[in-house]
Amino acid sequence: MSGTSKGNYITQAWLVIFLAVLYGGGLAAVQIALSGKIAENKRNETYSVIPSLIDGAIKENTVETLVTGLNGKDIRIYEACGGSGARLGWIIPTGGQGFADRIEVLIAVNADVSTIAGIYVLDQKETPGLGDYITGQDFRSRFAGKPTGKKLVVVKSDPTADNEIRALTGATISSESVSGIVNDAIANLKEPILNLPAKSGASASS
Amino acid sequence: MAQQEPSAIERFINGILPENPVYRQLLGMCPVLAVTNAMKPAMTMAAATAFVLICANIMISLIRGLLKPHLRILIFTLTIATFVTIADKVLAAYMYQMSKQLGPYVPLIIVNCLIISRCEICSSKQGVGVAIADAIGMSLGFALALASIATVREVLGFGTWFGLRILPEAWPNWGIMALPPGAFLTLGILLGIAEWVSSMKKQKA
Amino acid sequence: METISNLILLFISAALINNFVLHYFVGICPFLGVSRKVDTAFGMGCAVTFVISIAAFLSWTFTYYILRPAAPLPTWVWQAAGGDAAVQVDLGVLSYIVYIFVIASSVQFVEMYVRKFFPPLYKSFGVYLPLITTNCAILFACLEIMKHLQDPTKLWGLHEALTLAIGGGVGFTIAIVLMAGIRTELDLCDVPKPLKGAGIALIVAGILAMAFMGFAGVDKGLAIAISSSAQ
Repeated sequence: MSGTSKGNYITQAWLVIFLAVLYGGGLAAVQIALSGKIAENKRNETYSVIPSLIDGAIKENTVETLVTGLNGKDIRIYEACGGSGARLGWIIPTGGQGFADRIEVLIAVNADVSTIAGIYVLDQKETPGLGDYITGQDFRSRFAGKPTGKKLVVVKSDPTADNEIRALTGATISSESVSGIVNDAIANLKEPILNLPAKSGASASS
Repeated sequence: MAQQEPSAIERFINGILPENPVYRQLLGMCPVLAVTNAMKPAMTMAAATAFVLICANIMISLIRGLLKPHLRILIFTLTIATFVTIADKVLAAYMYQMSKQLGPYVPLIIVNCLIISRCEICSSKQGVGVAIADAIGMSLGFALALASIATVREVLGFGTWFGLRILPEAWPNWGIMALPPGAFLTLGILLGIAEWVSSMKKQKA
Repeated sequence: METISNLILLFISAALINNFVLHYFVGICPFLGVSRKVDTAFGMGCAVTFVISIAAFLSWTFTYYILRPAAPLPTWVWQAAGGDAAVQVDLGVLSYIVYIFVIASSVQFVEMYVRKFFPPLYKSFGVYLPLITTNCAILFACLEIMKHLQDPTKLWGLHEALTLAIGGGVGFTIAIVLMAGIRTELDLCDVPKPLKGAGIALIVAGILAMAFMGFAGVDKGLAIAISSSAQ
């Protein structure tokens, strides 16, 4: 009955076109309704850990800055600010090769990039039960307060020098990966961050 | 028509056990293996699949009279992809951590053979009521299968169920259960058990 | 130098360490269905690798120029139509629909092309081509590529997308051929009756996955080896 009008593509495909328009409208509505919330979730993922990494930092006062590393690549970093808007430190999102797949890390440093305030692991696929303890508070706290002047070194016993990090038992490679990621990011970004123009706006007025 | 199409209630019951999509038909194996290392992601996945399956079944059933045979698959795919996008966006907006954990497996619902086979077998031939019953039955069957595998893997792998500790702290976690090999081994053995139970039933009957 | 070593690592990671079948569980259906004989399994693997590369090329192009946040083409149209330049245009919501049609049409295209110009090749793996449309491995590769085209400060280039796709295809071929080899031997074994078929195949796959876990860390070692030999 319907197949007799050969070559008449419009009558053949009107349902497809109608559905495409209908679904397109539906998707546009979903996009308009939810895109703001999704973007906020994505931002929050980084922002919500900032107060736990840098004492006194206020999530809402965070400022995003683009900085060019020594390797010539642009990286978006976050400036952690306190209640008065004063600069308290920097959050550097970075990542690198772990034992299995990439590890994504947030590194918090103080305002003059002299010490590490803390680290936070956003994403990793290390071995469950061994390497994945890099996400734990216990391991992450081993980085807090370390100076950025010297390269961090992973040791298997209790640290004796201030640039030594104790490895996780049975996960030396994962531990070395994290400290390597931290070393690389600081080597790449310490100078560029210090060379950033002095903060305008909030801190100038405070 | 030579053969009587099954009624709504038959469709509903068939989906849960007699024609269980995972154990009997071996459909949708990818999420069954990938997201069952714990109950929470498994149940989120089951809910997302159920949403897409029910919506797609209703939609296809409504327009079944207008479907042209050669454009059928195109329309199925378009419908499924749209509903999957909606499910993915809703998850990302309201359950962000879970959506990150499920990662690519939510969009992979598009190529889950379970949904397209239900569109083809049931909803493109029968009315909306039957299509809904079929979709709910199949979704329950799918959820049941995911739950059975996730229970085994989470209890043995972490000593917990839905995040609640049920085995004593002294339980040595079977790390392998949380990893890919655990998924294959668990599903293989559960399939064997399902097969054995149904063959025992047949012998008795 | 750094680019090449990155590509090597990406390839090894996609083919062995994070094997599509044994680590990400994509492409399980053909893995269980078509893995009866080694040569058909190899044909299927080649067909998938072929289609996955074409789909990766197309989906990278679409994503890079049209679908990613602030992609050049829609931004240009938006501003030419007098839209506000401060608004970021994001057509990401259409990605899944575009990908599934890219896959379906590239399968169609490959099938026609191979049948017309390479009849012997068509004979060897043409029959598997239509089955590939619903192979999740291909959509998975497109999705991985999409994931790496979201952050404007670290966009993947076409070479990275293609390396991932070919690595994934090679990994799929390795897994399915290994599986077929084991299953031909299994036919001669006395398998408990309830486990016959899919059950024993899954258990074998579990043991294979365990063996493939042994590759974990190879990429780390290789990265160290490459960087030390470069110095």
